[in-house]
Amino acid sequence: MRAIGAFAWSVVQDALHRKVFYIILAFTVILILLVPLLPSADLGVQVDLVREAALGLTSIMAFLVAVILGSTIIPREREQRTLYNTLSKPVHRWQYYTGKYLGIILVVAVSLILTYVVQLLFVLAKFGIFNPGLGKAVFTIMLEAMVLTSVAMLASVFYSPLVCVFLAGLFYVVCHVKGDFLYRAMTDAANNPVTRALAGAGYYILPNLERLNINETIAHSERAFRVGPLELLLLLALAAVFSAVFVCLGSYLFSRRDL
Amino acid sequence: METVLSIEDLRKDYSTGWRKPPRSALTGLNLEVPRGSIIGLLGPNGAGKTTTLKCIMGLIRPQAGRIRLFGEEGAGAAARRNIGFLPEQPYFDLYLTPRKLLTYYGRLAGMDPSGIRTKTSYVLSLVGMDSEADLAMDKFSKGMLQRIGLAQALLTDPEFLILDEPSSGLDPLGKMQVRDLLAGSRDGGKTILLSSHQLSEIEEVCDGVAIIHAGSNIASGSMDELLRPRDEFEIEIEQAWPADGGGMPEGAVWTDTSRTRLVVGKPDLNPALGALLAGGAPVREVRQRRMTLEEYFIEKVGREGWEVGR
Repeated sequence: MRAIGAFAWSVVQDALHRKVFYIILAFTVILILLVPLLPSADLGVQVDLVREAALGLTSIMAFLVAVILGSTIIPREREQRTLYNTLSKPVHRWQYYTGKYLGIILVVAVSLILTYVVQLLFVLAKFGIFNPGLGKAVFTIMLEAMVLTSVAMLASVFYSPLVCVFLAGLFYVVCHVKGDFLYRAMTDAANNPVTRALAGAGYYILPNLERLNINETIAHSERAFRVGPLELLLLLALAAVFSAVFVCLGSYLFSRRDL
Repeated sequence: METVLSIEDLRKDYSTGWRKPPRSALTGLNLEVPRGSIIGLLGPNGAGKTTTLKCIMGLIRPQAGRIRLFGEEGAGAAARRNIGFLPEQPYFDLYLTPRKLLTYYGRLAGMDPSGIRTKTSYVLSLVGMDSEADLAMDKFSKGMLQRIGLAQALLTDPEFLILDEPSSGLDPLGKMQVRDLLAGSRDGGKTILLSSHQLSEIEEVCDGVAIIHAGSNIASGSMDELLRPRDEFEIEIEQAWPADGGGMPEGAVWTDTSRTRLVVGKPDLNPALGALLAGGAPVREVRQRRMTLEEYFIEKVGREGWEVGR
């Protein structure tokens, strides 16, 4: 546990020394503060629109932080050969991999907490509404970042950061449209069998990240349906299972990789 | 004698790309490192030295062969507890200070916080970096980073040190300090495997060498076994021998411009001594020449391999 903790903390320290991390965070906060300037925000549903836009920006920020850190940490350490010093210590590679993963999650979590506080204060100041329920959406954004980080890290065992970012982006898009696009591709008899088989495989294997997207519901004060603790627990289980699978697979492959 | 490291028939191929034949880095390497000794690993570039060290540290997986560390199979985390490793041209997260870096490595090694503090100060003073302990490493020179690399290898007071080019980037004083450090560590009971291109360093501090060429070792043994005496003698005289001084055997060669050192073959020794004495040159010393490590290395690897390795 101690080694895992040391690896996780090293990611936090590393992130604190990366300008890109601050730029993403500052950009997100500034954009959230500028949301009311959008022309459409003059409508009567202004507060809903502001909340939805803010949560959307938060999702993008979490995606960027998770994917950038997940895609770069292992390739960079391999390229700079700092891995040689680290892994020559009495540690297992799975400890390194798990620690780095948890460190990224910690960084994403801190970033999300910061933006959550900004959103809370902003909505309170602008509309006089204290809206802690936004935390539910921020929580599911965190869950999605957990899955994305595990995928980006898995890809980074073999590929360069640029390829990893591309693959993680592809994964994000496919997993968001799978419920609609992949389902239709799988069931449409007009498609050729190979396409249908591939779509079917993707549909059943990949996680449905759209399930983790409750931004709209929360932004509209859960008027359509209420997101209760059970629903959040199920979403947590979904994200935890997929993350664990990808982390275990990545850790196993990393353990067998020549450095 | 008890061995700390034993390698048998180690083989490693590297993939070179799609549908291309793999490149063999190690083709059946054997190596033994006895406890309490310093063994030098020599070879031209691409011979397989770094690959060997990486296999020992478990950084890469050999295709075949056995590695035994402290009598146990493989290079697992438990074995690495007793090993200090310095990779070639070590690199670190440069925003860290040496103290923070060593604290991090100490935590990874399972050291307790007070032990980390004490050992960090000790090893930093050992490598002459105690006054830079709290400066960020982004302004450090290559030699300073090399010293930090040495410090992290020594941090846990390991029984076995594996050092890849420890003197790389160091100034002459630093190189001398490294030699003293190695000799001191050996005298303190540590075992050292040292990969280096500095033949003089290896000759000076190592008890034995293993020469690797094209992935396998072509020679190994103690310095005394390998660097055999030659049938040549060096005569040193106290005053310069005149250029027109006669009576010297034809095979005699002056090795310095001031003509005070003369190398002769065994049959020419007595005639040369006779000529010097007859010429009134006081003889200071006569010694039998021993092969240098460089001569031995070139003889074994071949001039072609040496030129490639330079």
